[in-house]
Amino acid sequence: MKRRAVLQNLAGVSLMGPTLTSQALSTQRGAAFDAPILVVLELSGGNDGLNTVVPFGDDDYYRLRPNIGIRPEQLLGLDDHFGFNPGMQGIHKLWQSDNLALIHGCGYDDPSFSHFNSMAYWHTGAPHQGSEYGWMGRLADAMVSERQEDMLINIGRSQSLAVKSAVHTPLVFDDPERFQRRGQPNSLTPQVAPVSVRSNRDFLLAVNASARASSARIRQAWQDYRPEADYGLVSMDLPKVAACIKAGFATQLYHVAVPNNAFDTHVQQSALHRRLLSYVSDAVYGFLQDLKAMKQDHRVVIMLHSEFGRRPKENANLGTDHGSANLMLVAGTPIQGGHYGQSPTLVGLGEGDNLRYTTDFRRVYGTLISNWLGVPVNRVLRGNYPSFGFV
Amino acid sequence: MKHLASRAGFGLRPAQAERLVGLSPEQALAQYSPASNDSGPAFKHSGIFDPGLDPFPPSRPATTEMAKRQGHALGIKVKPEGNRPLQPIVNTFFYWLRASRLETDRISYWWANRMLSSDQPLREKTALFWHGHFATNEDKVRDYRKMLLQLETFQRLGLGNFRDLLIAVAQDPAMLVFLDAGVNTKDAPNENFAREIMELFTMGVGEYGEEDVREAARAFTGWSVSGLDFYLNPETHDAGQKTFLGEQGDFSGIEIIDRILARPQTSMFIASKLYRFFVQDNLTVAGAEQLGARLRFHDYEIGAFLQELLVSNDFYSSAGEHIKSPVELVISTYRKIGLESVPGAPDFNAVTGSLGQRLLHPPTVAGWSEGRSWITPSLLFERGNFVLDVVSPDLNFVPSDRYPTLTPEVARVQKRLRTGMSVSQATKPTGIAGGEMAQSNALADRDEAFNTRLGSMRGWQMAIERVIPIPRTFARISLAQQVSDAHLDTPLDVVMYFEERFFETPLLPGVREEFAAMLERELGSREISNTISYAEEPLRLLLHAMLSRPEYQLG
Repeated sequence: MKRRAVLQNLAGVSLMGPTLTSQALSTQRGAAFDAPILVVLELSGGNDGLNTVVPFGDDDYYRLRPNIGIRPEQLLGLDDHFGFNPGMQGIHKLWQSDNLALIHGCGYDDPSFSHFNSMAYWHTGAPHQGSEYGWMGRLADAMVSERQEDMLINIGRSQSLAVKSAVHTPLVFDDPERFQRRGQPNSLTPQVAPVSVRSNRDFLLAVNASARASSARIRQAWQDYRPEADYGLVSMDLPKVAACIKAGFATQLYHVAVPNNAFDTHVQQSALHRRLLSYVSDAVYGFLQDLKAMKQDHRVVIMLHSEFGRRPKENANLGTDHGSANLMLVAGTPIQGGHYGQSPTLVGLGEGDNLRYTTDFRRVYGTLISNWLGVPVNRVLRGNYPSFGFV
Repeated sequence: MKHLASRAGFGLRPAQAERLVGLSPEQALAQYSPASNDSGPAFKHSGIFDPGLDPFPPSRPATTEMAKRQGHALGIKVKPEGNRPLQPIVNTFFYWLRASRLETDRISYWWANRMLSSDQPLREKTALFWHGHFATNEDKVRDYRKMLLQLETFQRLGLGNFRDLLIAVAQDPAMLVFLDAGVNTKDAPNENFAREIMELFTMGVGEYGEEDVREAARAFTGWSVSGLDFYLNPETHDAGQKTFLGEQGDFSGIEIIDRILARPQTSMFIASKLYRFFVQDNLTVAGAEQLGARLRFHDYEIGAFLQELLVSNDFYSSAGEHIKSPVELVISTYRKIGLESVPGAPDFNAVTGSLGQRLLHPPTVAGWSEGRSWITPSLLFERGNFVLDVVSPDLNFVPSDRYPTLTPEVARVQKRLRTGMSVSQATKPTGIAGGEMAQSNALADRDEAFNTRLGSMRGWQMAIERVIPIPRTFARISLAQQVSDAHLDTPLDVVMYFEERFFETPLLPGVREEFAAMLERELGSREISNTISYAEEPLRLLLHAMLSRPEYQLG
């Protein structure tokens, strides 16, 4: 009841307040070519943060991980304490060029160890509160309060809760080439999307209207696009995002994912985890190189997150179990690289021998919402989240 | 009756409607429930399994490491000397991945045909429910035999007692492999299995603590699989004292399950999920409690509970509220058209996969999200495109189980080898010309003891040699005959006839008339009886347009 009331209040708020920044204004005008873009890449399954950015300077790391701990000489060094997983050459280059922010110890109170619950908390930005809409969906609603096509693009088989919006219908597709109605053109009079989507019937009619409005442009964008960088073996749908940006879409919010809990590495994780990270790292590096080639890198920031980290102590199957606090990565030309937040200690662990989080993950969301997209944080998140200085 | 047919089964066949006229809800439902255990032919195996393939190592690196260590793997010896001594093992690794996947696609076809042709489809519908509930994926299980065994369990026990089903699933080889329970010992209890049993299969989150997860995991230690058989290994089972949900005892896994079943929350969780699947999405807390009480009243007998649910007022007032799942959409379309078997083209697995519900490949252990998650702008088009592929055979159809259309690199490697290139030349990765090569591309195939790209190609060849092909028949449809038999007068009558046969919810106002105008244009006449000889093509155009409608997605 309470949350519904809050959301209703939000929906009615005018954006034309004194706090509005120039960036949000450009959004308001619609297709501003220089509007900032946020891409979220979700690593589902619980990425093992400790074997992503390894604290090799900490003996406790090797004590907790005698078998799957990665030796210092194999790591791609950041400094005298941390090193990247050897699969992460691309991301290492971003670090070296000072375009990668590592935010340590991200989590929330009373962590859930369920993939599905915890991911829902990250999607809504409202742990233990329940929210009907996703944090990116609410962000879109705060940016433009009237229904607009292409506000949110979600590349994937099904729609993520993160982009669920009270106002907009996210554009969700997987394969641009299949995003069309084949056969004889439909001669029916196009129907206007219903205002409310309370019933399943109205929901379907709204999606239908959105599909008809967008499919041709998406396909055209994809046909006109040629990658100018190597995205590696698994491109994480980032070339599709690049195609939309290149085509000049007004979209500022994109969501892509490594789906199906791929990072859930309970058993024999080392080779698998390294491979997954190399795919992610190649794709992210390739994406940013591609954007550079098309001179769009100044307006794009990409954030990587998972629903939780993994337990510091390895299990007996050369894997790791569901944990709590984890790293977040934010990369892009506009990013001031470096370490942010505090790395959780490996001694005196919290409940269930898990890391104690040091940073509420919503501080990272909040930083991007306010500093990057120019929207007051309290329009999107409940509570106060002091910004980081990475952007 | 149309409603019952849609929910308890997969839609009405053209001739079926008359048989159900005048029956009471109970009498009608009786037509859907299994009268006997005989429900069609058993699955016909291709014969692709060889001893040595089970247990299958977790990855290609694990396989080659094992082979280097012990001199053999997957039942194949390392070559004592010469080029690429591990190549035959790598080939066999890829052979089994490919062959098991292709055989699993045949299992899906077999199951789809049962859904389509069964006159008692409630058993298959319920099996589909349990498959989504106890979700396992062949991509991880990597053994079609285990997937088949599990599906047969759902078919056999799905309408029986939930306790029997839950225990069978908890001891099911596919599930044990899927949740990594095969390596669950008292020195290293596996929490994944215990957690998912409680979170996803019985109670839902919030009904237990992390300590309960750990204690339950101890009780399930020693639960193991050998080939296709479950066994309890007393050596690795932790028989000590446990505290679970506030009780203490030296609980076995079965005793943990019984404690879970004794919780009212479990009956609510299962009953609500059945309600959402068979009736509708919206359910109040009070409603869930009431449903849980009914399930407990029936002592967790699923069949008896469903008998009650499927004659209820709630059930009959929810017509047209449900978004059909991709499998429901595809099978019911075939049934309504009157097909006797699932066509080979379009490929059933490719279609349901692109719509988001590939059988035996649910996305995660949580199964499919159902409801509105089935629909995105792109997927709505795909649903219409499926209908087009049925009514208008695609001349460019290439079966991806015989030709590597989805992994063209495999065919390219073979092509290069046939021109006489060396293996290293033929398998060189093709990166971006002149650009910076990504790490994953640059690092492929450093190991000279074998070549993975060659292995991938050989595995393909070996698999298609042994897996029985899926017959690639197109749907044979005669809409003109059906329209003729129905003695219809005008184009609007035809639209209404299709609407009656195919739709569970009415078209939007005005749409019917637009369809009638479209048909009239195509037929060049308002008198249907004069157009039958050439009506087939226009009728198919009409059916494609109608079944692409958003309203058709509701059942």
